Amino acid sequence: MTINKQESKSIESFPLEVASQKEAEKSDLQSIKKGNLRTYSSQKDNAREFTSLIKKRSTRSIVSSMLGCVHCGLCASSCHYSQTHPNDPTMTPAYKADQIRRIFKRHMDFTGRLIPWWVHAKSIANDEDLNRLKNIVFGTCSACKRCTFNCPMGVDTAALIRFARGILTELGIVPEGVFAVSKDQWETGNQMAVSEEDFRETLEWMEEELQDELGTDKIHIPVDVKGCDLMYCINPREVKFDPRSIADAAKIFFLAGESWTLPSFGWDQTNFGLFSGDDQLGASVAKNVYEAAKKLSAKRIVISECGHGYRSTRWEGYNWANYEQELPTESIIHTLKRYIEDNKIVIDPSKNCDPITFHDSCNLVRSGDLIEEPRWLLQQVCTDFREMYPNRQDNYCCTGGSGLLSMVEYKPLRMASAKIKADQLKATGAKQVCTICHNCVDGLTDVIDHYKLDLKVVQMLELVSSALVV
Amino acid sequence: MADISVDGDGFLVDPTVWTEEIASILAKEDGTGDLSDNHWKVINYIREYYTENSMAPMVRKLCKASGLKLKEIYELFPKGPAKGACKIAGLPKPDGCV
Repeated sequence: MTINKQESKSIESFPLEVASQKEAEKSDLQSIKKGNLRTYSSQKDNAREFTSLIKKRSTRSIVSSMLGCVHCGLCASSCHYSQTHPNDPTMTPAYKADQIRRIFKRHMDFTGRLIPWWVHAKSIANDEDLNRLKNIVFGTCSACKRCTFNCPMGVDTAALIRFARGILTELGIVPEGVFAVSKDQWETGNQMAVSEEDFRETLEWMEEELQDELGTDKIHIPVDVKGCDLMYCINPREVKFDPRSIADAAKIFFLAGESWTLPSFGWDQTNFGLFSGDDQLGASVAKNVYEAAKKLSAKRIVISECGHGYRSTRWEGYNWANYEQELPTESIIHTLKRYIEDNKIVIDPSKNCDPITFHDSCNLVRSGDLIEEPRWLLQQVCTDFREMYPNRQDNYCCTGGSGLLSMVEYKPLRMASAKIKADQLKATGAKQVCTICHNCVDGLTDVIDHYKLDLKVVQMLELVSSALVV
Repeated sequence: MADISVDGDGFLVDPTVWTEEIASILAKEDGTGDLSDNHWKVINYIREYYTENSMAPMVRKLCKASGLKLKEIYELFPKGPAKGACKIAGLPKPDGCV
């Protein structure tokens, strides 16, 4: 028997798969009944609906990105897809944005109505056109915003991509993976459908392990404790598959003498609404976190290592949810920095002697303003920190951003475009690459496997925890 | 014998075709290597859980049922419980950020 890997199909013609949607319709889900989770119907006039939603939802910033492009081509030299496919114009951010722009022009710009052939304006005719657009906006862009930062006209292609994704999500014209994760987050409040019982059981287990390790029964992983200084929220994969990071955080909180708790609901700081473009899902998930903190009278929300979770909960969620959020919200990276500065924990960098480089997560550097803090920390916790080039706001995506990890059909193209990241990693000569994003952990692991690099991915909590002087 | 069809992440396209022989081939392919009794304890539990619940089990359940420590799971399956153990057990790729 031999293994036969799925053939890479042409991206634009990848079909619309609706098996999960059909199954969900059969299982009588609340989110479908309430109209929150949308499924595809071939009976509807989806093309007309798409056009009307473009008109309805175009905000001033979307319109300026629709109109601002002068096709100078600078975006082509900033995108990891186009840089790794120099002979394929369809990989250029301007091309991808033009597929949305031309519909806008045909229906909302007078030039497109009068002389459509001159300004490349064109309507969406049918579901086939919408499926092609789905493949472009979900499959050929990781919404990393590198082109946005490099555009002299201020065009935000990543925002246009998210805008189009959101409308397609409304019509159920989405990749299967996006549907499946959105469904779990709508139905259970977390993207991996972890039940409260399983959540609590895992935390109790980690607490016992920590008590054994430290030889004290004073260390706890508290749930739903009112009036704490800090409410910690996490990525579901931590509790479902790898709770070592929760144990690391709990150990550090204990040693720093922190008053903290996890909520029993509203603990998922990730937000698939950012990826699918569905602002309603974005609002609902972010609000779960804000409301949990309010209910527990926590004084601060702390978000575990996660790029898009930090961006969603700290920056975007208030707007999606129209929420008057007064509590300060920070990343665990800020918290760790404060502990070291205030001598609440003691660190011995000689416990991390491997050369370590740092991968900037797109959502943190280009949309989150979390740039120098992790570098400061790395200088404290290891002996050989070396920058990757380019870095900070100029860094390249791990290639797994914007939910692409859950869209396996686009992986061959993603891996081809990862050559640039692989070269970047290799040039550092580091043995470990640190990232402060769970999504980047998997994105980078895919790159390392595919390009056979001799590198291990680590996260900040792991490094801080192993450098602790207990 | 027929080829084994896997997706871009190496997960079986059709989870129902899984056999122990396929598990051994998938384990070799992803660098897990030869499967020991402990590997099988984990794999069999995952399959059992999946058949009943149509989803991957929490790693907590995996450790409890197999009597293995979390650290040992990661030693047995270097790709971790989701991308390693679940893949070898023939499950579709778990949803979410993995």
